[in-house]
Amino acid sequence: MAAVPASVPAATAGPKAFNDKGKPMEVRLSNMVAAKAISDAVRTSLGPRGMDKMIQTSKGELIITNDGATILKSIQALHPAAKMLVDLSAAQDVEAGDGTTSVVVLAGSLLGAAEKMLQKGIHPTIIAESFQKAANKAVEYLTEISTPINLEDKSSLLRAATTSLNSKIVSQYSSTLAPIAVAAVTRLATPESSNVDLRDIRIVKKVGGTIEDTELVDGVVLNQNVVTTVGGPTRIEKAKIGLIQFQLSAPKPDMDNTVVINDYRQMDKVIKEGRQYLLNMCKKIKKANCNVLLIQKSILRDAVDDISLTFLKRLNILVVKDVERDEIEFLSKSLGCKPVADIEAFTEDKLGYADLVEETSHAGAKVVRITGVKNRGRTVSVLAMGSNSLVLEECERSLHDALCVVRCLVKKRALIAGGGAPEIHVSRLLSQYANSLKGMEAYCFQAYADALELRNRHALGERNAGINVRKGLISNILEEDVVQPLLVSTSAIELATETVCLLLKIDDYVQTR
Amino acid sequence: MSMNIFGAEATEEKAENARLASFVGALALGDLVKSTLGPKGMNKILQSGSSGEINVTNDGATILKSIQLDNAAAKILVNISKVQDDEVGDGTTSVCVLAAELLREAEKLIAQKIHPQTIIEGFRIASAAALRALERAATDNSTDPARFRQDLVNIARTTLSSKVLNQDKDYFANLAVDAVLRLKGSTDLEHIQIIKKAGGKLTDSYLDEGFILDKAIGTNSPKRLENAKILIANTSMDTDKIKVFGARIKVDSTGKLAELERAEKEKMKAKVDAIAAHGINCFVNRQLIYNYPESLLAEKGIMTIEHADFEGVERLALVTGGEIASTFDHPELVKLGRCELIEEIMIGEDKLIKFSGVAAGEACTVVLRGSTNQMIDEAERSLHDALSVLSQTVKETRVVLGGGCSEMLMSCAVEEEARKIQGKKAIAAEAFARALRMIPTILADNAGYDSSDLVAKLRAAHYEGRSDAGLDMNEGAIGSMVQLGVTESYKLKRQVVLSASEAAEMILRVDDILRATPRRREAV
Repeated sequence: MAAVPASVPAATAGPKAFNDKGKPMEVRLSNMVAAKAISDAVRTSLGPRGMDKMIQTSKGELIITNDGATILKSIQALHPAAKMLVDLSAAQDVEAGDGTTSVVVLAGSLLGAAEKMLQKGIHPTIIAESFQKAANKAVEYLTEISTPINLEDKSSLLRAATTSLNSKIVSQYSSTLAPIAVAAVTRLATPESSNVDLRDIRIVKKVGGTIEDTELVDGVVLNQNVVTTVGGPTRIEKAKIGLIQFQLSAPKPDMDNTVVINDYRQMDKVIKEGRQYLLNMCKKIKKANCNVLLIQKSILRDAVDDISLTFLKRLNILVVKDVERDEIEFLSKSLGCKPVADIEAFTEDKLGYADLVEETSHAGAKVVRITGVKNRGRTVSVLAMGSNSLVLEECERSLHDALCVVRCLVKKRALIAGGGAPEIHVSRLLSQYANSLKGMEAYCFQAYADALELRNRHALGERNAGINVRKGLISNILEEDVVQPLLVSTSAIELATETVCLLLKIDDYVQTR
Repeated sequence: MSMNIFGAEATEEKAENARLASFVGALALGDLVKSTLGPKGMNKILQSGSSGEINVTNDGATILKSIQLDNAAAKILVNISKVQDDEVGDGTTSVCVLAAELLREAEKLIAQKIHPQTIIEGFRIASAAALRALERAATDNSTDPARFRQDLVNIARTTLSSKVLNQDKDYFANLAVDAVLRLKGSTDLEHIQIIKKAGGKLTDSYLDEGFILDKAIGTNSPKRLENAKILIANTSMDTDKIKVFGARIKVDSTGKLAELERAEKEKMKAKVDAIAAHGINCFVNRQLIYNYPESLLAEKGIMTIEHADFEGVERLALVTGGEIASTFDHPELVKLGRCELIEEIMIGEDKLIKFSGVAAGEACTVVLRGSTNQMIDEAERSLHDALSVLSQTVKETRVVLGGGCSEMLMSCAVEEEARKIQGKKAIAAEAFARALRMIPTILADNAGYDSSDLVAKLRAAHYEGRSDAGLDMNEGAIGSMVQLGVTESYKLKRQVVLSASEAAEMILRVDDILRATPRRREAV
């Protein structure tokens, strides 16, 4: 008997961790409530008629988007379960690029289903295992109804990209953006390639004009503008492009130094020598027949100063400065030139050749284009335009999603119907399959099937009544040109299920250091 | 009259109170982790109080390590679980739960006015008997490679089945066994590198021979290299500065300044030439490589990899058999690393560098993918547990059966032994047997089955002589563990029983807890 009174003070005075310990069921329910709250937050942005969210960041920046991954990233989730859903959406972003909202909504509805099962008294591990099996089955069914495609078949790719864009803010421009996405990815992909590095596709954003002005540039577009402070040329035909990583300004060794001047004649000498030094460098550049110079940004000293700019102008060399170090790789790849880090190594064979380098002013935005590049690498530049930065950002995100969708098709060359048709199909097949099962698994499969349908119903609820999935066949959806890559759906199902299972198995919540 | 013997705030708990405090602490801890035991065990969320980071796990050692404790006995349990983690890598929960159960039994005995020393004696006899029984039950298949591999796969499956990798345990069991067999008997898990990348699903994970470095290849250098000779260096590749504070140069004209700058570049060039003189075609530096040396090296056709971190260069040196150099004047003294192929690979969105065909043939990399960071972290812990158990098994090749079978076997053996003991010690030995039986009970409880029914059946099966009977967690029935392939490492089980009984003994002996005055901290 002595144990009972003694245990009370020990428990209260003892470790703090134990006070936080809730009952397993409570923990589970709290996880579900949190996760569902997150999924409710993004649910309305699903589908072609989905709504947008306005996000104000802590810095006061404004983002308008209906991209699930972007919304969730900006939500400062506190609850552990909510954080996991945010991660889930990020994972889908990495894996498929699109369907970031779907995956969270799906996880939310699976948790809803699981909650009902828990109330029936089914053990969470059984639910988790059955869900995993059901997910495998669902993926199997999806693969069955998918249609394989060929990368040559541009129109299928186009339809997939259009479907993805249709659910975005920029949907009315899907006819402009979809072909850009398709052309960009297909240019990079070879028939054998199983993946495309999206970093080889550069999206350059310029405020001005409208989204319709967005274009795929045959060549390279620069983020930077031509330096015109001293009135250098802005258009060069038959351009020889040099990409330099050294600086055209007064010499500066890495050691601390002082120039000691004793009298005024010496001052003249110093200035003169400085000019001479720069002039020699500029002459060397000209000697290599270079007439377009891209200069890497330098933090230690000025990349280029007024004197050298004047010389370069006289030598009729077009100058672009502030090229970031990260961009060097991309530029050297796409222009077929090699970066030069020292003036002595500046020779003609390191230059790239282009028919035309020109800065044009288009709808109020100045853009440097390099076209007709010889020996160009496998890179693509897209010039994105928009009337304001909010629209532009969203346009970029949508374009990124569309690119990802096309890339998914490169990874896994199969399409399935969109518009919720596959979910209904899988849900139906799964319930049929559930009937053939015995015991508690059957319940779980049924619940899983219902959860899929639930996700779908939301998507449908916000659609206009044109497509009646209940009556219509899958072929109807295909006729409507609503298609999506298989990978987006399968990865959404797999990832959502994985996360839900992890959440289901949690029975305790421990505070640590 | 009371006298202050201790300083202010130093406390003492005596005899009965001290013992109770330890029991309560240990039991609470045991109860905390016991729900994670077994294939149907649950996970816990660990949330850091300071940074808010979350961690989902069912690894006993991880949970115990991270919680804050203010109870001496509980700390002992945490310690034995840590030792178990270091020794065998798995069974961290089991050891803690068993120790807690032993103490629970001991508490009852103490309530019956049995002296702790008597209990300890009984426990000692019992644990010796249990270990004898365990040793008798252990089988050794190390002479037959095929069966030994099967044993290893079974062990990995058993270990993984209680973790997050449960669904894909077959896949990961084979992966872990492959990785461990590559080590060829060494228990140095350094050779197995685990790279985590979010995105994808768990089964997208794979084992790759060679070494993967999460860095980028320098601009303009070749992206693919066969028969690579690698120089691993830790040197600054900007200008070699004179490291005297306030060193200054005084010049009287800009031309001189330009000359100085040129001299600096020449110096760098000389350094690059010295590096190239090693006859290498790949240069890996821990520090940054600046534009100028990078382009010089690229011109010479040498692949450059910069900023490879301490861990990166060290592992690379280990697996390619090279040495980390920081001076380059004596090419003949520097050991170069070698590998057959260096190439860029893409995992998810990221580009990484893969070194295959490396000198240390046992090196390999496991690339883990998963839907969330928590998932991958937990998968890494699980895989690490499996790997360490496997590598220990390769050394100590005996195996025993899992699924509560071994525990029941030991429990029966202890009960047999208890009948022969004279005096009160027999009661303690019986208590030990009961504690051992608690492990299958908890296993069944966690899975939501009727534990008392199942454990009674299991005990009956063992007394009937079916020594391979254990709990089949999928069916909720008694099954043959040999057929189900539920195997565990002998060393692991032995360590669990040994540490748990030692810890219990230690806690039982305590009759006084003294607490020193907490150190004063200035209020911030």
